[in-house]
Amino acid sequence: MSGILEVSHLTKRFGGLVCVNDVTFSVPEGRIFGLIGPNGAGKTTVFNLVTGVYEFEGEARFAGKTLAGMRPSDIANAGIARTFQNIRLFGSLTVLENVLVASENRRKAHLGAALLRSALFFRDEAAIRDKAMRLLEVFKLDEVADEQPTSLSYGNQRRLEIARAMMLDPKLLLLDEPAAGMNYGEAEGLKEQIRWLRDEFQLTVILVEHNMQVVMGVCEEIHVLDHGETIAHGTPDEVKKHPKVLAAYLGEDIDEEAAGPASEVSA
Amino acid sequence: MGQNQGLARVVGAIVLLGVAVGAEFGLEVLIADTAWRQLAMFAMVNVVVALSLNVINGMAGQFSIGHAGFVGIGAYTAAIVAGHVHVALGGGDPTFGNSFVVMPASILAAAIVSGIFGLIVGLPSLRLKGDYLAIVTLGFAEIFRLIIATSSPRAEEGTFAFYLAKLGGQQGYAGTDETGIVQYAGPFWIVGGMLLAIVICWRLKFSGWGRALRALREDEIAASAVGVDPTRYKVTSFVIAAVGAGIAGALLAGMRDGNPTVQPEQFNFMYSFDAITMVILGGSGSVSGAVLGGIFVTVTVRLIEQLQRLDAVQAFRVDHPDFDLNALRMVVYAAVLILVMVMRPSGVFGENEIIRPKPGRDVPPPTQRKGVRKAEAT
Repeated sequence: MSGILEVSHLTKRFGGLVCVNDVTFSVPEGRIFGLIGPNGAGKTTVFNLVTGVYEFEGEARFAGKTLAGMRPSDIANAGIARTFQNIRLFGSLTVLENVLVASENRRKAHLGAALLRSALFFRDEAAIRDKAMRLLEVFKLDEVADEQPTSLSYGNQRRLEIARAMMLDPKLLLLDEPAAGMNYGEAEGLKEQIRWLRDEFQLTVILVEHNMQVVMGVCEEIHVLDHGETIAHGTPDEVKKHPKVLAAYLGEDIDEEAAGPASEVSA
Repeated sequence: MGQNQGLARVVGAIVLLGVAVGAEFGLEVLIADTAWRQLAMFAMVNVVVALSLNVINGMAGQFSIGHAGFVGIGAYTAAIVAGHVHVALGGGDPTFGNSFVVMPASILAAAIVSGIFGLIVGLPSLRLKGDYLAIVTLGFAEIFRLIIATSSPRAEEGTFAFYLAKLGGQQGYAGTDETGIVQYAGPFWIVGGMLLAIVICWRLKFSGWGRALRALREDEIAASAVGVDPTRYKVTSFVIAAVGAGIAGALLAGMRDGNPTVQPEQFNFMYSFDAITMVILGGSGSVSGAVLGGIFVTVTVRLIEQLQRLDAVQAFRVDHPDFDLNALRMVVYAAVLILVMVMRPSGVFGENEIIRPKPGRDVPPPTQRKGVRKAEAT
């Protein structure tokens, strides 16, 4: 099998603590892929390994090329964009500027053109601004383009982070808990948006999420981690019924309860 | 729109050139007193120093406290190059015509040498942050100063120490024939250099490059996740700052009416500290702030020194030998700094500018649109 992102025997140790242990999965192109697990399962660490924040053992390949030893900025330019669990926007830049920064390494006009203010610089800047404004319109943020991101609502900040990631023209989008802090309605909207993004931009999406409404509703394939190890893999329906997944999410007792007669439930 | 823009740029360039040429012939009329003229030119050189330090300390958010080292390297390099080019041109009194050969050569040499040292010092800045980087830059500047100051004139010919001693050690370098550095940097070059530095810094700040630097300063992880390579941007800004400092050094070394020697003591920690004060006082990251800070710090310091020379003060000092206005300079400094920090914690201008640049978009910003609507209604 050959997916756009292939991870095999991925391991990360922080001193004696094994955060990610021998994780292997493959994400086919165009798929909406869920990466779930209880708190501390190592989901975000997998994102950090794939985007070059930490070095790792094992192998990770993106579109056939190994990611080992690549710098985060190179990985971003290669086509992997991500958002962060705790929103990381540039607070002192305007909403528009936040998006503009993401195109910095793609531009044709470099430092020399900027200093000379050549025709290329103005053309380039205008083209980038147009693209950024179109993206902001898509995410309904064009009205607040000149405001500071700190003045935006939580949901809008999340959307701005996705807009910024999309400015990279990524082939693979990693979303780290995009539904965190969203209410039922917003989460439903997010599901629509993720599907729409995938179809519109021919993306592959990997989703780390705790919100089961979103995960089960939008993911086509799910990989479950617990304590850094793979415990299940499959379609949402398969994963939902997997005994290990139930155990990890609801507690170990489940097995005993299912096996033997119900023990005292009184607290 | 494009045509108008082109025209505006040509007119702008002509105006700036006109100001520089006007300064060359008009400054002596405008400021008749040599000491004050020297002060004005020194202030302009310091503006270049502040602008270049602002690139690394303000825009890139790194903390360098050894900027004087780069200025010094530029000054020594320019003094040596200017001396040799001057001899090659046949010597004699420095003329305005010849300065168009000597100054570009010495400025270029100073910029290149300082830039190389900027790269060497800038590379560790990838791994070092905050205080640690500050110590490296301070160490660099002190090493540079002490190597020159402690060179021994009795060194054997042909050795490195021998050539080092030719730089004059503690006494300072006084040109190729030890009669003084040729002073080609007239008001044209000083004013021109300052204007050019302002334009360059402005363009750096209001470009994608400046935007990426600001993003990097806010959040390095997020910036690299959107393709901004911290290494490249930090080292580039370090080199740009060093090149700017080198150019300032070249202007300082050849400054007409100035000191015809360059001495290691000129580039001690106090000078680095002055440069930092200029940047912080004006507002880190602000081009207008660096200009204001450069002028204010120079004038305040020198103004006090000028006051000390006044006859009345000298007469007063005969009776009160403890009365030293030069020492007061630090009191004034400290008082102003504390005042600014209390009233405007991020400097006089913060990160803003005197004039806000137009947002290069066809759509007017929302505030402007509102204004138009109001105007129509009334």
